[in-house]
Formats: sequence, structure tokens, C-alpha cells
Amino acid sequence: MTTLLVLLLLIAGAYFVAVLEAWISNGRFRLAAPLYATIALLGRESIVPRKPDRIFFEVGPVLLLLSALLAATVIPLTPDLIITELATGALFINAALVYVLVALLMAGWGPDGAYAMIGGWRFLGQLIAYAMLIVMPITAVAMRAESLLSTQIVVSQLGLWNIIYQPLGFVLFFVASMALAFLPPFDMMIAKGELAGGVEAEYTGARLAVFRLGRLVLIITLASATAIFYLGGWQGPWLPPWAWSAIKILVVTATMLLAGRYMPRIREAHLLSWCWMLGIPLALINILIVGILVLEFP
Amino acid sequence: MMTAQMFFIAFFGLAAVWFGIVVFRTFSMVRSALALLFSQTALGAMFLSMQAEFLGVLQIMMMATEMSIMAIFMVMFMMDPGGLGEMEMTHQKRLSLVTGFVSFVAAVMIAVFVDWGPMANTFPDAAQQTVDLGLELLGRSMLIFEMAGITILTAMIAATAVAIQPAKKVSQ
Amino acid sequence: MIAGARLATLSGLRRLVALSMAQDLGVYLIPGPEIAGVYGLDIEATGMHIVASPRHASVLLVVGKISPALCEAAAVVYAQMMRPRVLFGIGTTELSPLPEADILADVSQQGLMEGVRRLRIALAEGAFNPAVSDFDAPMLQTRIEYTCSMHPEIIQDEPGSCPKCGMNLIPRDAQARMMHAHTEHPKMEGVDYSGMDREATVEYTCPMHPEVIQNEPGSCPKCGMTLEPRETQNTHHDHAGMSHGDMGHNDMAFMSMIDVTMDLPRSSDGLPMDWIDVPFGPFFPGLPGGLLLTLTLDGDTVAGSRAGTMTGNEPLLLQSAMDINKFTERLAKLEPLAPVCYQVLACLAIENAGGLDIDTEIARARAIAVERERIVSHLGWLALFGRQTGFDWLLRRATSLQQDFLHADIKQIVALKAAILDLSGRLQHTPLLKSRTTGIGRLGADTDKILFGPVARASGINNDVRNNDKIYGDLGFTPAGGKDGDVRARLQLRVDEIGHSLALIEKAGITIDSAMSACHVFATNNIDEASGDGEAVIETPRGLARLQLGLENGRVKTVQLATPSTFHLGLIEKLTAQQELGDALVTVGSLDLSPWEIRL
Repeated sequence: MTTLLVLLLLIAGAYFVAVLEAWISNGRFRLAAPLYATIALLGRESIVPRKPDRIFFEVGPVLLLLSALLAATVIPLTPDLIITELATGALFINAALVYVLVALLMAGWGPDGAYAMIGGWRFLGQLIAYAMLIVMPITAVAMRAESLLSTQIVVSQLGLWNIIYQPLGFVLFFVASMALAFLPPFDMMIAKGELAGGVEAEYTGARLAVFRLGRLVLIITLASATAIFYLGGWQGPWLPPWAWSAIKILVVTATMLLAGRYMPRIREAHLLSWCWMLGIPLALINILIVGILVLEFP
Repeated sequence: MMTAQMFFIAFFGLAAVWFGIVVFRTFSMVRSALALLFSQTALGAMFLSMQAEFLGVLQIMMMATEMSIMAIFMVMFMMDPGGLGEMEMTHQKRLSLVTGFVSFVAAVMIAVFVDWGPMANTFPDAAQQTVDLGLELLGRSMLIFEMAGITILTAMIAATAVAIQPAKKVSQ
Repeated sequence: MIAGARLATLSGLRRLVALSMAQDLGVYLIPGPEIAGVYGLDIEATGMHIVASPRHASVLLVVGKISPALCEAAAVVYAQMMRPRVLFGIGTTELSPLPEADILADVSQQGLMEGVRRLRIALAEGAFNPAVSDFDAPMLQTRIEYTCSMHPEIIQDEPGSCPKCGMNLIPRDAQARMMHAHTEHPKMEGVDYSGMDREATVEYTCPMHPEVIQNEPGSCPKCGMTLEPRETQNTHHDHAGMSHGDMGHNDMAFMSMIDVTMDLPRSSDGLPMDWIDVPFGPFFPGLPGGLLLTLTLDGDTVAGSRAGTMTGNEPLLLQSAMDINKFTERLAKLEPLAPVCYQVLACLAIENAGGLDIDTEIARARAIAVERERIVSHLGWLALFGRQTGFDWLLRRATSLQQDFLHADIKQIVALKAAILDLSGRLQHTPLLKSRTTGIGRLGADTDKILFGPVARASGINNDVRNNDKIYGDLGFTPAGGKDGDVRARLQLRVDEIGHSLALIEKAGITIDSAMSACHVFATNNIDEASGDGEAVIETPRGLARLQLGLENGRVKTVQLATPSTFHLGLIEKLTAQQELGDALVTVGSLDLSPWEIRL
């Protein structure tokens, strides 16, 4: 029952992200547009390129959707609305999301097209940049909660949200999750102007619909993860827990989508050097500060 | 409960072996690397079936990155065209056959002849396991792990230093 | 009834699907969004959205007349689109080998709107059709051949089974092109092609035991099967040919990475990789439509490049001699990205040949028309830059400003000054923009290449012909300048020039209508008898264009045109070498090449 409810909420969230993304991009707020787009995609031909690696081509989009969904299973929307409470929840989110990389590599390699292949490998380069900035801020969050349980992490922020307790970690995690969700300006692998769609370019019809759904679910999952790690999850005055979860997730999503609109795409080399030369030292400092705070002011 | 657990352990074990075989049966570098990844993921799933949650999740997480990076290095250096370049994935067959056979026999011998002690009927829950693991890593085993960590770091730096040598020559 | 309908009857649920398709229109533009922009068409205002890959499009929109070569390339794009697909022509009917356009409209925003309305109806009613024939064109053919996976020597045009082993033949690309057809693979300099040229030697192997290899035919020592011949060199290579080196099938010792990669050419990052030829164009979303750029990629690094145009190579004179008015019209149509400049250029050259003097008022009016076009052109470039780099805000802002300038009268143009200032200020403070553009595609002032226009001025070379023009001097013209010569400098310079041109228009105080009406030949009585040679130069938005022509009895007899893009095309190879793919594309984009004016 909970599983079904969470899945429905995720799909609703993905729908909302689609509407929001179109609104931000072309300034038109059309509630029905994603519905039309989905039906149209399902009704259109879906072909396999001429020389595909068929297994990779078919598995890629499904794996993308699956890993985003798996990561969402350990995210509590209210104290009770969580599919499975794992003792390694915070680690599990990360483990599931690493398969986004595998999915994009497969989807990039599968069609035997240059644009897609370059896109797939570009994402691997991006992972080398952002991966540490996902894990290390989560470490600091888990240190404060003294647990990897995602509900425990939310409860630990009862007095003070992590965004104030460890702002450095929040900024790093936020930027890294944008890179993980390949949102602009980190969209080198599906760049329209550089790779004509990149990894997405050869997908059509129903397969494209699955790919795009996977991407939308990934965005909403990462926004939810940000909300429970840094914004106190369901906590808040006056409103019921589910409302607070919804508001926080929507605000995070909108911020993620808006940010990329006002800047050009980042260069690979810069992303890597900034992440390693600036991001990782900052993440270490963040762990150090949180460690001191946890030990000295429990 | 016990049967379900046995079933899953057997299932993932067989999957791991199957993907291990696929590594050498395919003609594509990328398929080979990803087959190895799924073999390792199946091992992680075996850990999960054995209720070693932290180890299982860690295995599943680490292998994805490592094998993908291995894939790109294989493609980069071997220049596997289109992924279906009919490239043979085996070499030094006799040596590998012998090595494989010897290791297999050794593994079976260890499994059969080592005295594993009495079967534990109770075990700590997942959260407690994580705590125990952390205490172990930062207590008794700390020296070993720190040594291993520093060795790996040294090897990485050394490898990088070796790798950038040709670039120097060009600039001269 | 649309020609690209999907083969099915329209009934029940499909009716709903067709209605949805009519609401969700992804459009792929031929030749490109920049052409739609200068024609004053706002595509997104119609509710369609521009997509980057033909695979995601349901509408192929051809804007304006395009060359036969572009039509052929467009036919390939059309074939790549998923059915149901609609062909929509604006201001053109000659589309062969494409099928007849499903919807036709005039070149105007109203025409476009009306066309989209009819298109929606056509899709809702005809997305599925049980009686459609498949689209076929000559250039789509002969590109698939069938081969056996076990016996690569078997190649035939028809599907079937292998005569040797009876397996089903698998289809493959005869030329193994990625996206666009008919691009040849001339050999790149510095690439080791020895592996391809080497005589293939035949060796014999067992189909069941690939480790059995011998130089003579015979039977397998393991299973007794007859050995099959095969070539030791894999000549049917999917990507660009590289010598894989003999990896020693015979002595399969340890495969040494050093041996394998030793003799390969190195790119700047020091990693030898498989080289692939990737076509960018002629309808690539991040480059001007019609430009064909083929990059040889070594991983993500550009190892070599070839650039060309698929439009703009037609002869300037269609008949032996041409009426002067027809000629000016022809030259204006030659370059849809800057028609006014070329029209004025033709007028100047004819007037020069005819020995006519043009009074200051008319010259000033013409200058204003040219400056207005410069603003429109630079805004179009900014939009393309935004599209290429994924800078969504800039794309939207520049596109809408471009439309404003195209439709504004003199008062409104002056009122747009604040918007341009705002745009300039925003670009100064945009995060990541500086790091994205600084130091990329650098052309110093000491370059041995000939540079023109904004590209030259951004490198500190001031060869702007407006400097010596008295008309401009009276209007207080100050040339914009830069010195770094990189993409950043070119971006900044174009933004500055928009401001300068705006100031000139404001100072002159001439209405747009009178400025435009000054852009034709002022024939006096004797122009019909005029003979002689004439020459004129003009500073187009892309740089200096020079036209020399000979008049004979009032008709244009000989003509010679030099355009900046023709020269700048030659810069690409050196500028993009060893750059990352993204940087290389930004560099090519920053040259603001117009494929229409390139004359080879």
C-alpha cells in the first residue's frame, strides 16, 4: 500500500517537474503538455538504430528509471510514508544512484552513434567530478545523526536544520546532485547545441518516454534527498508533515531547474578541476567542522 | 525463511558465475566490463541475502564506478570499434586455465576443510552490524586498513607520475 | 492527409493519440533557427518547440528557398524522423527529392500561425492512415548491405541467408555513416593508414576453434572441420581507419598496451584512442544551418577538421548578362543572413561602374539600413551562441530582441537602448560565461591569416572600412575594439557593436522606411548605356565584402565577390586542432560564419 502510494506520488512529482521545466524554459504554463507529449511519444514509431548493441540499448532507459526509483524507496516523505527503512539508508541512496551512470553508459554505447557515445563517456567524466561531493556531505550528515537510517537523519534535525548546521555540505551536495541529475549547466551528455541530444539522440517513441520519465524521477528523487538531508524533511510548524515534505521538495526542484537557465554549460575540464581542487577540500573541512561540533556540542 | 534465503544465495551465486563467464564469451570490451560489473553486483546481492547489509550495499555501490572506469580505459587503450569489434576476450589460455583450475580447487578445499566453528544462531541487526563494523575498522583493524589505504594512495600517485612522463618529453 | 502518416487505421484510441500529437509539435528547422529569425518568424510563439534531433521531431519545417544539396540532406533528415511526420514548407515549394510539402505557408508570422493551425488539424485527422506509401529517395538507397556475421566476405544487397553456413544475413551500413550521408572520408594528414593499405594476407582458421590458425588450407587438428579462410587485416572498420597493429594472433603472448598504442599519433591529452569522424551539420543545432563541419575526434579531443558549405556555391550570374535591378535582387537573396548589406554592396558597385555620384543623404540612409541589419545579425549570433552553449536565458532574450528590432520603427529602436544596455550588463556578470569563453579560439593580432570584421577587431586589428567613411565620421562613429582575440573578446565586441550601431541610428534620425528605400540603384538616364568596371566594399556584420563587376550597356557582364566567411572558413582547422569538442564548437560558432556567402 505504502509502495503504491509512494510510486504514485513520484509519478505525480515527475509530472510536476515536466510542467515546471517547460514553464521555466519557454514561459508557458501548460498543465496538459506533458500528458500530450507522453501520449504522442507512445503513439509514435520507436525504432532500433541500424547496428545497436541491442541489450544495452534496451536496458539503458529502464535501468535509469529503476535506479531513480530504488533510491526513492528509502526516502521518508512522512514518518510513516517510506517504502523500506534500511539501516544503511543514506548509503543505499548513493549506491542506487551510481547506476544512473551505468544506465547512461549503456544508453550511450548502445545505439552505435557518435553523439550518444560521446555523451555516455562524458557522463563518466562527470561522475569522477561529482561522486565524492555526494558521498562526503552525506558522511557529515550521517555523523550528526549518528545513523545511516534516513528517518533518523530527519529526526536529528529537530532543533536545527542541516542547511544551517552545515551550510557548506548543503551547497556541495546541491551542486553535486544537479550534476548527477545532468541538469543544466551540467548537461554535457544530452546537450542540444553540442551533441544534438547526445545520449537521448537515438531514442524514440516509448523508449524515449521511459528515458525522460527516468530523468524526471531522478530529479524529484534528488530533490527529496536534499530535503531530508538538509531541510529537515517533513518537519515544520502549522502544516501537516506531508505538506512540508511536498513544499520543500518542490522548492528544491524549482531552484535546481532555474539555476541552469542563467548560465552557459560548464566545461568538462573546469568541472573536474573545481570539484577536485576546491570541492573535495571543502567537503573535508565540512566533515572536520561537523566532527568538532558533534563532539564538543552534542 | 531459511529456504528463501538459500534460494536467493544460490540464485545470485549462479548469476555471479554466469556473468563471470559472459565476461569472456563476449566480443565487446564494454560488454565484458559491464558483465564483470553485474557479476560483482550479484556478489553484493549475495551479501544482502546473507543479511550483511552494509557490505552488500557497499559492494554494489563501489563496483559500479570501478567497472565503468575500467570500461572506459579498456575502450580507450584497445580502441574497440563500435563495441562489436569481434575482439577476442581471452589470451594466454593455457596459463589462465591452469591458474583458474588451481584457484578453484584451492577455494573448494578451503571451503570444505576449514573448521568454520559452530553455526551462529543469533546475529546483530543491520544497524548494530554497521556500528560493530565501524568500531572494528577504527579499533583493532585500524592499522591494517590505514596501511592498505596509504599503500593504495602511494600506488595511485606513482601511477599518475608514470603516466604523465611522456607529456614532459613532448614539451622539451 | 499527410504523406508521412503512420501505417494504421485511425480509430478508437488512436484518435486520442492523434489529437495529442497535434498538441505536441516538436519541430526540426531547415536550414536553421537563425534563418527563421532573420525572416522575422517566431517559431516558439506558435506553440511548437524546436528539437535538436530529427528523431524527436514530428514537423520538418523548411524556411525559404534552399539549394538542391541542402534539399538532399533534408531528405535524409526527413527519413530519420519518426512517423507520423509532417513536412511544412514556408516560402518554398521546390523541395525535391523531399515529397511534396503537407502544409505550405507564406513567409510571415501570420502565415506561420495559420500553417501551424492547419498542421494541427491535418495531424489530428491524418496521423494514422492505412494507405500511405513509404518515403524513398535515391540518396537513402544503397546504403544498406547484408553480410554474414561468420563470413564477412559475403556481402550482398538483398537480405537472405549465407551461402556458406545458411545463417541469416545481417544488415549493415555500406559506408557506415553516423548521421548524414554522402560524406567522404579523405585521408587525414598524420594518421597512420598503413593498416588499411597493407595487403591483406589470408590465413585459415577453424570456425569452432578460433585458436587454430595456419597459413595453408586444411582441416582442423581438433575437430577435423575444413578450415575457413579469413583476412588478417580487418579492413571493414566501423569508425575511421586506424592501424590496430598486428596483435599477433600467432604468438598470443601478453597483449601489451605499449605495443598496441606505441605508434599511434598523440593528441594533446596524451591518450591515444579510436578516432572517429563525426559530421556536425548541415543542420546541426549549434551551428549555422548549411555549414558542414566534420570533426575527427580522438576521444573528446578534436584531432582534425574539415569544413565546407552545402549552400551558397551557385554562380552569381545566372545568365550571361544580367539586368542591374535583377542583379541587386539576386545578390540580396544570396545571403539571407544579411540581405541589405549585399543589396547595398551591389548598388555601390554598379553606381561606381556607371560613374554615378550618390548624394550624402542617400549614403547616410543606406548606412542606417546596414547598421540596423548589423544589430539584427549580431543578435542572431548571440541567440546561436546561447543555443550552442545551453545558455537558455540568452537564447530567449536575444531571439526576442531580434524580433523587436526587425519590427520596430525608429522610435521603438531608440527605446530598445535600455534593453541592450541591460543585456550587456547581464553578460558581464553571468557565472561560468567567462571561464567558458576566455582563452578559447585565440587569434592574436600577429596571426598570419587574413581576418575581417568582428573577428579581426576582437584581435586588435582595425581594418573596418567605416573608419574612413565620411558619412560615419560625421555621425561620430567610433570603432569597437578588443585585443585578446578569443571567444570572449568576440562576444564582447559584438555586444559593443550593437550599442554603437544603435547610437549611429539614433544620431542619424532617419526613419527605417526611408533607410530601406534608399537601398536600390538610383538609375539616371544614362545608366542603361553605362559600361565600365566598378568596385565597392562594405563592412557587413561578418566583415569586409568586396564586389567587382563589369557593366556593359547597363547589364552586369562579369562579377567577382569576396566575402569574409570564405576567408574565415580556412581558420577552422588550425583553431579547433587539439581542442575539446565543446570548445571547438564554440570556437567555430564565434567566427559567425555564414554558409550562404561562402564562395569556393
